[in-house]
Amino acid sequence: MIGHDIFLPTPLLVISSGIMIMLAAMVWRRSVGRSFAYGLVTLLLSLAVVGHHPGRMSGNGDSLFIQDRWTTYTAILIIFSTMCILFMSWRDVAHDGTTLVDEYPLLFMLGTLGALAMVFSANYMPFFLGLEILGISIMGLVTFRHRPVMLGYEAAMKYLVLSGASSAILLFGIGLAYGVTGSLRFMPPIATGEVPAALPVAATVMVLVGMFFKLSAVPFHMWLLDVMEGAPIPVAAFLAIVSKIAIFSSLVRYFGTGAQPPFLNDILSVVIILTIMVGNLLALRQASLTRLLACSSIAHVGYLLIAFLCPGHLQSGAITVYLAAYTASTLGVFATMTAFVVPDGPDGTVIAQWRGLFFRRPFLATAMSLMLFSLAGIPPGIGFFAKFEVAATGVEHQRDILLCVLVIGSIIGLYYYLNIIRVMMAAPSSPSSTLNRHARPELTALVIVLTIIVVIGGLFPARAIHPLLPAATVPPETRDGIRH
Amino acid sequence: MNPLPALVLLPVVGGGLAWLAEHIQPHTTTPARDASWWVVLGILTVETLLLVMVTFHHPAHAGPWLGHFSVPWIPAMGIAIRLDMDGLSLSLIWLSLILCFLCVFLATRQVTVNAGAFHFLFLATLTGIIGTFLATDLFLFFFFWELMLVPMFVLIAAWGHEDRQRAAMKFFMFTQGSGLLMLLSILGLVIAHYQESGELTFDYFTLAHTPLSPAVSMLLMLGFFIAFAVKLPVVPVHVWLPDAHTQAPTAASVLLAGILLKTGGYGMIRFNVMLFPDAASHFAPIAMGLGVAGILYGAWLSCAQDDVKRLIAYSSISHMGFVLLGIFTGSRMGMQGAIIQMLAHGLSTAALFLIAGAIQDRLHTRDMYRIGGLWTAMPRLSTAGLFFAVASLGMPGLGNFAGEFLVLLATWHVSPTTATLTTAGLVLSAIYALRMVNRIFLAASRPDQHPIQDFPVRQMAVFACIMVFLVVLGLYPQPFMMFSAPSPLSVTAVTSREGATP
Repeated sequence: MIGHDIFLPTPLLVISSGIMIMLAAMVWRRSVGRSFAYGLVTLLLSLAVVGHHPGRMSGNGDSLFIQDRWTTYTAILIIFSTMCILFMSWRDVAHDGTTLVDEYPLLFMLGTLGALAMVFSANYMPFFLGLEILGISIMGLVTFRHRPVMLGYEAAMKYLVLSGASSAILLFGIGLAYGVTGSLRFMPPIATGEVPAALPVAATVMVLVGMFFKLSAVPFHMWLLDVMEGAPIPVAAFLAIVSKIAIFSSLVRYFGTGAQPPFLNDILSVVIILTIMVGNLLALRQASLTRLLACSSIAHVGYLLIAFLCPGHLQSGAITVYLAAYTASTLGVFATMTAFVVPDGPDGTVIAQWRGLFFRRPFLATAMSLMLFSLAGIPPGIGFFAKFEVAATGVEHQRDILLCVLVIGSIIGLYYYLNIIRVMMAAPSSPSSTLNRHARPELTALVIVLTIIVVIGGLFPARAIHPLLPAATVPPETRDGIRH
Repeated sequence: MNPLPALVLLPVVGGGLAWLAEHIQPHTTTPARDASWWVVLGILTVETLLLVMVTFHHPAHAGPWLGHFSVPWIPAMGIAIRLDMDGLSLSLIWLSLILCFLCVFLATRQVTVNAGAFHFLFLATLTGIIGTFLATDLFLFFFFWELMLVPMFVLIAAWGHEDRQRAAMKFFMFTQGSGLLMLLSILGLVIAHYQESGELTFDYFTLAHTPLSPAVSMLLMLGFFIAFAVKLPVVPVHVWLPDAHTQAPTAASVLLAGILLKTGGYGMIRFNVMLFPDAASHFAPIAMGLGVAGILYGAWLSCAQDDVKRLIAYSSISHMGFVLLGIFTGSRMGMQGAIIQMLAHGLSTAALFLIAGAIQDRLHTRDMYRIGGLWTAMPRLSTAGLFFAVASLGMPGLGNFAGEFLVLLATWHVSPTTATLTTAGLVLSAIYALRMVNRIFLAASRPDQHPIQDFPVRQMAVFACIMVFLVVLGLYPQPFMMFSAPSPLSVTAVTSREGATP
């Protein structure tokens, strides 16, 4: 590879240098607050340069990275989510202050770096490296839960083992693909010459399985519930949002947005049906809010995959809006959870603790309800329009079974989301006078910002589609460009 | 300035003001509560003035459509904010406003906990309902359709009676779940039109001319029908209604029975019959069968209730069966009967719910056996109750009779057997209405009766207005029948285009 072929998106550069500066600063003097500040500044900087890159992409598709509207969009989502998650973690620094160390923000930054590397990758190498960086930093982050100590360690071990297994499968698939095509280009292998036809199919399926593992689509979903429950709330948000956006973005990049080959179509349909049904049914019986959110995120991946499976001119809008809606609403729920926590009070991970919140903290309860409505796909939240768009793509392709599953899943989903609101509306069980309110301006501000995003996005979704429309039309172009 | 968007937005904005008004002086409780109440009253008055303006202001173009408004909303999807008003929507909006005034005068002032929030949600529901009546963009219609559920859900779940939360969940799950089927139908229609013409639009008038194969047309029609049937409600999917109506606070019961049910009937007229006339006429025998089943089943169960609100709720199912029957007779007369029935049922049932709510406020029970005879203790309330119970059983000379009679007549032309069965429902309705009157008002008063306060004169004046409406509707329904007929599509498309171009 020659010098002018090296094409490196600026956000990666900025975040890598930011991490190095953080490391250097930690050697100089350890200070958690300062590390958070470095992290936020770095993220802001990378957000500012997200669309820029030095040099130009090589036309023949040999470069390691790629940059187009889709990468820009998902990168913005990832960076924005990480910023919100850093804000959420701030409370631990300010109030608990027990075991938090500098490594906490550092690991978040590393995880973001991994996620961005996956988003920008046009080659198996950076994709796999990014995946591993993300996975390993998540493992470190999960152990930061310090209330019931063993829970965090157990979750981390679970994650380590299962993520290792899935990486191995993924790597095997990549190896097979390399064997078939002799190239590490990030796209499904195409059988050429004397290679048996089963080989590229096997390679594709193995890569797909690896991705499904990280995406926690249904036969491979078991780990997510336990890991999210064991992790601190911000880390659970990171798992549910950043890591999923990154892997979904790579999925779209890898398979493109055109019609999928028939075998893939069948596999995906089955996985979608299982994902939506199992995700929603599992959520019904959860008493823990984090576990419930894990189930709901499984179900939402299923809805998102419907849009992925239905190419057409509605698809790009559906995927972009759905990603934005899922990100904003889920972030909102997690932000409300962190704002809910008061020192020496309940930590908000059990649904029963939310009882009577409408009477104690009406603002928080209203924000939470709006977020849950949005997740359930009810106006005025942006989730309403997102679900509408996904249904539109399904109707366009007459995927009747998938649509039925979508409807049934949504109705089940409605039940468990509404159930939380119902609990919040129930009369408080104990006199709440003992609970002193701790004003946390940064969390309140975060919740307000996310609420505004969700509501405005729901009322004026046109602005949300408009700049993002080219997102899905670009990948086919670049794919064509690669073939030339 | 176009009054239609103001009609839709004013209530929710005003509701926000009412909420704020409560928070201006958080320490003095009573005046603050009244502040939000006064704001609501003011908003409703302004809204009424606007509506008067719309009613009597004749648009420049001659045509049955009284107003048109359109701005793009989501151009990429062909979605616009399109509002159109014809006689049907206008008369239903009038009904909504009258009932809101009723609630504000008689019920919402009794709310003591979080009155500001209550008023906000109350008016937000009104926005959803008015939006549903006006929207002629299918996406916008669906948006409002879903939007009105949210505040209603909160109203029931937070201010309702003992078993409120289960009832609220049931209400929401049923209506929202069926709404998803309607969403699929809307999308199916839009995509069919898109594949036919290459134009992605949610415009009602454009979509009405989509050529569809009979099977597809039937399928899409059924999607709409199920959503509206849940709201109306039609018998197998009515189970949410008795609980929701019984557990809701009085004002919410009035809104539910008076207007929310009518959105189902409105939707059937506007979307089932007018968008898919052929499929609807094929489906008519089944729909009419369901209508008769609803009439008989609702009336039968109503006869067996001890809970007053539950009794009225089941009688609503029975009355809404007439609406379903009338709409699907396929004749003009049946349609007119259905509309008159909707208006009259809205007025009489709302009044009955208000009276039941007033009784519950005073006696803290809804059990008819424990209420005992009220005639001597509360003569005014009992008179009003007697009047509306008699109206609800279909006494000639009152609005309900006019509606039911027209529906029966139209049904007779289609199927005499059905009409005969339906009259059995009328007998049953006499039984339950008189049973209620006997138990609550005319029975011997209970020996342990505490002195209770009767309706003040002011409130009786409000009820008197409703009585006058019902009598006028019953004695002279002709103008209402002409006025509230839905505008036919062929006319609409042309005139609304003309309205849009200048």
